[in-house]
Amino acid sequence: MDFTIHAATLEDCKDISRMILELAEYEKVSDQVKITQRDLEQDGFSKNPFYHGIIAEVPEQHKSKDGHTKVGYSLYFYTYSSWKGRAVYMEDLYVMPEYRGKGIGKALMSKVAQLGLAAGCTQLNFAVLDWNKPSLDFYLSQGCFDVTADLGYHCMRCEGESLEKLAQGDS
Amino acid sequence: MDFTIRPSKPEDCKDITRLIMELAEYEKMPDQVKISHEELKRDGFCQNPFYQCLIAEVPERHKTKDGHVKVGFALFFYTYSTWKGRCVYLEDLYVMPELRGKGIGKALMSSVAKVGKEQHCARMQLAVLDWNTPSMDFYMAKGAQDLTQSEGWHFLRFDGAALDKLAEEAPKN
Repeated sequence: MDFTIHAATLEDCKDISRMILELAEYEKVSDQVKITQRDLEQDGFSKNPFYHGIIAEVPEQHKSKDGHTKVGYSLYFYTYSSWKGRAVYMEDLYVMPEYRGKGIGKALMSKVAQLGLAAGCTQLNFAVLDWNKPSLDFYLSQGCFDVTADLGYHCMRCEGESLEKLAQGDS
Repeated sequence: MDFTIRPSKPEDCKDITRLIMELAEYEKMPDQVKISHEELKRDGFCQNPFYQCLIAEVPERHKTKDGHVKVGFALFFYTYSTWKGRCVYLEDLYVMPELRGKGIGKALMSSVAKVGKEQHCARMQLAVLDWNTPSMDFYMAKGAQDLTQSEGWHFLRFDGAALDKLAEEAPKN
């Protein structure tokens, strides 16, 4: 199937917002999504954007049953390893279920890798839930390694009240 | 003990590189450190910096046995959650062993949290090695949750030849 990948524009934020919700539903946490289309517009298209996006689009004749031609996306940003320097982090990778198995997910991920290398990055990092076997298998088959399983790194988070207390110096 | 926490300057990069190496030695992976102080300077002080850094400094009279006054650092950057929006990621937090137990680590971490809150970040995230019990305990005591344990999150990575190969397969359009 024909598809193209383009850099996300402001107008794409509506579709990105829709697909973020679809991905959250797949990960069984759609009640966790607090971000709005407006947040995406402000944070992705300001002077110092917090993220970058790429969109996979199909021609009109292959639009989805709900009429969408924007059928996949990847959202990424630049990070820093104090050991290796510039790195790219792929926050989301998603393709609508009816478009899977056609190389779109792989193409999106490859594009992020290509953009990362062009920006001087030596790593492409991302996170996967351990029960998400189809995704884990896909990524491992592409040649990545599991930093948590192999090196023992755990992802930690402070938010809500703990973050407030920490910021006030009270914890 | 008196100490100050301040944003890093280009001239701090040599000390930051030293402290990065000390932390890598503690994490038992010193051979993994490839970065140079020139790279740190370039990436931290360009138009769109890749990271920010806070330095913990003690007065001259409290310098370390090797003569250092820059005794700790926190290196961080902004990330993005498609669920919650802006976040801050604490890449490194380190205090030299002889200056520990004086609140410097806590002050560095709180300062990062404060900067994050000022930028409307909803979360602060970091990674800890599973065998690093002192650090795990330190972060858990500050209210951090271990998402690998509680939700099953794993970090995955492409680097070296695998990253090159992946990039070569990108569509040409």
